[in-house]
Amino acid sequence: MGTAPAQLFPEFIVDTLGLDSVIGEVAASLVAAFVVGNIILAFTGVAGPWAKRKITAAFTDRIAVDRIGPYGLLIIPAAAVQLLAKELIIPEGVDRPSWDIAPILLPASALLGFSVIPMGQLGPISLHLADPEVGFALVFAFASIASVSLVMAGYASNNKYSLLGGLRAVAQNLAYEIPLIVTAMSVVIFSGTLQMSGVVGAQTETLVTIAGVSIPSWYALVNPFAFVLFLTANMAEIGRNPFDIPEAPTEIVAGYQTEYSSAYFVLFYLGEFVHIFLGGAILAVTFLGGASGPGPESISFIWFVVKIWGFFLFTQWARAALPRVRIDQLIEIGWKGMLVLSFANLVLTAVIVGVIA
Amino acid sequence: MSLERPDTVDDGGVERTPDELEALLGDLVVDRDDHLNAPAFVIRPDTVQETLRTLKEQAGYDHLSVVSAQEYENRYESIYHLKKYDDPTQEVSIVVPADKDNPVSESAEPVFRTADWHEREAYDLIGIEYDDHPDMRRILLPETWQGHPLSMDYDKDRPQIATLPEHANPLEDHHKDAESDTMFLNIGPHHPATHGVLHLKTVLDGEQVADVEPDIGYLHRSEEQMAQSGTYRHQIMPYPDRWDYISAGLLNEWAYARAAEDLADIEVPEYAQVIRTMGAEMCRIAAHMLALATFALDINGDFTATFMYAINDRERVQNLLEDLTGQRLMFNYFRLGGVVWDLPEPREEFFSKTRDFLDQLPESVEEYHNLITSNEVFQMRTIDTGILPPEVAKNYGATGPVARGSGVDYDLRRDDPYGYYDELDWDVVTEDGCDNFSRLLVRMREVEESAKIIEQCVDLLEDWPEDERNIQANVPRTLRPDDDTEIYRAVEGAKGELGIYIRADGTDKPARFKIRSPCFSNLQTLPEMANGEYIPDVIAALGSLDVVLGEVDR
Repeated sequence: MGTAPAQLFPEFIVDTLGLDSVIGEVAASLVAAFVVGNIILAFTGVAGPWAKRKITAAFTDRIAVDRIGPYGLLIIPAAAVQLLAKELIIPEGVDRPSWDIAPILLPASALLGFSVIPMGQLGPISLHLADPEVGFALVFAFASIASVSLVMAGYASNNKYSLLGGLRAVAQNLAYEIPLIVTAMSVVIFSGTLQMSGVVGAQTETLVTIAGVSIPSWYALVNPFAFVLFLTANMAEIGRNPFDIPEAPTEIVAGYQTEYSSAYFVLFYLGEFVHIFLGGAILAVTFLGGASGPGPESISFIWFVVKIWGFFLFTQWARAALPRVRIDQLIEIGWKGMLVLSFANLVLTAVIVGVIA
Repeated sequence: MSLERPDTVDDGGVERTPDELEALLGDLVVDRDDHLNAPAFVIRPDTVQETLRTLKEQAGYDHLSVVSAQEYENRYESIYHLKKYDDPTQEVSIVVPADKDNPVSESAEPVFRTADWHEREAYDLIGIEYDDHPDMRRILLPETWQGHPLSMDYDKDRPQIATLPEHANPLEDHHKDAESDTMFLNIGPHHPATHGVLHLKTVLDGEQVADVEPDIGYLHRSEEQMAQSGTYRHQIMPYPDRWDYISAGLLNEWAYARAAEDLADIEVPEYAQVIRTMGAEMCRIAAHMLALATFALDINGDFTATFMYAINDRERVQNLLEDLTGQRLMFNYFRLGGVVWDLPEPREEFFSKTRDFLDQLPESVEEYHNLITSNEVFQMRTIDTGILPPEVAKNYGATGPVARGSGVDYDLRRDDPYGYYDELDWDVVTEDGCDNFSRLLVRMREVEESAKIIEQCVDLLEDWPEDERNIQANVPRTLRPDDDTEIYRAVEGAKGELGIYIRADGTDKPARFKIRSPCFSNLQTLPEMANGEYIPDVIAALGSLDVVLGEVDR
């Protein structure tokens, strides 16, 4: 294994079509971003109105959508029309334009994160938009813009439940982003680079060979402890059970999104799903060898899809099975537990890598 | 046998004869006016606290079941129905007449906290005012309501028009001033976790609850008045199904049946009692399953699998009830003197279905223990939250799983036996944790006890000789209990002590029909559990109380 980093998607377009100018490069970048964005939005479209319902139904002994189309799949356009056709209610006293910006910012921040994620090969195309040297730091930065959106929505809605939700979102993100990033840093110590392709590339090396099958050195296998830490912090970062307290429907109605309806609600809903997928993508890149998997390199995108959908399934499983923690317990777990463990992990990793290397 | 209660040696255990009680109260007693269920002492309206305190502290009457109020031609009257938690068959009623023109009576609130809401209700519906009451406001009707609907001169045709300035903003006082650092939050009447239309006026200090005040009455349907305008024999029985409508219908029907049968001196055939007992316990399982399901919803969040699993189990028992009664929700199955019809034919099929249900129940309960009670996060959330010490529970008149979760060993099925319970082998479940977790555990264990009862009933019914299957006693077509007989009788409903007070006036309709709702008293304890806790704990405490607003508001 260990192939050279594939050509980036925009460069591929430039080369294939022979667009050798600045305008051409810009156009190619836009087209590439458009394609990648739409892939993710398509995932979301399947996940939100259909897959989520089916998965939850399977966990709870129900049937769920099965009336329209094969396996109820046509509920996707039906739900889209239904959601968008609803009246957009703008409550009195909302603080515009921040009330309007918040629902756009959430999906935008999550989509932005995908710009540096290497999503694997599909035929000759490598679905990877950009590979800056600080890609690893960038993706976390993009992902954390979401908190800004939640605070904006919570504060601008002029609703006490929204405010509580917004405040909870900040408290939660502060408490979990630090352990998340510190744990991710322990991976950087292994890989020695912040470049996405480098982090993924380092994981293709063989860890051990058992009966002729070489096991790649995915960091989940190299450092399972860090993997579990990262997974937990990631669940909190994207606000899923048992850490879904910024929304906590049985406590604060719907948290920051209480006052949103119609298209704005769709945007929030969309943003949350894109965030789950981004969370899955970050997890895949950091700990699960990115898009790599058995089989030819040219279909590695499929492995990437499997991994992020696997993560999505995991979030739904947790949602069906786990109780929600209380806000003070959540903060306590974050600051007193996760932070300490993540620093311990970082120091230990540094020492071990330092001694071995 | 398991039904025997431990001996208590304190003063409360001593049973006093009515004459001894009269001697104890001495000059306080003005007159005797005995009820069918208990001796009743008439006292002056300004000695309520003294009388109740004497009875509570010196004679051990520590349970104020209910305050029922009514208006006569020449006076108003409040009746304090007292019992003992240690032995609810020891009852005494304190009758407090009040002046017709100026109905003022001393409040019992300083002695029994539970009197707070009960007296507010008496004020709201009847019009008696209580001196020394901390918060004499309407409770069920809007603050702007004109007149007292159950009083004699109430004009029901008068339009209830409240002009805008008159309809003062009820929240005006709560609006924060510049210095205040708390936030007022309305939880409900429409909120995902209020289990119906309940309004919690909450004052928050950050995420913590500084004060919470339940505001009820959104589902008030004049159930008492409807019962007062129906005939004993047929027209009242359908209503109890609509009080606690979470499939506890038969338990509610039994409350009315018990009171009316004792009032009219009707003997219920044994066979019917066994069917009643079986049906009632099925209802209890259904009600507790829903309590567990919604509690999981409150703690785990929507889409929790536990909710659907519990609903599935409830569905199974619901099917059995459908077979038995022909209805799924509003059973209307009991009749005075028995039940409306015998078990469904073929009987064997019904028995085998019931046994199938009982056989798989332990497996389900095990699964719930796996899913929720043994989950560490769940324990973190529920253990030591929503604390209700036993003394506080008693002071508020809490009963049912709420009281038993605080270690108060009080269950009318055993302590004041009715139906077929005292012939069967089962246990009263108590837990000492006093927290949300204990209340849940009590319900889960009670489901297993109910299953034991049903199993024994099925055994009995299977072997019942065919020619002795008498489902109804011979009851006159029209019942006219003697004028001025009064009775208060309670059964163990799904949520606790469900009692009915009836005063007969010689006609075929009750002159006063008062419902003692367990949820009404239980809900009063919410501020005790919630103050100082976090918002999620308030939700959990409310869920663990398992209130049904249809029964709170009636």
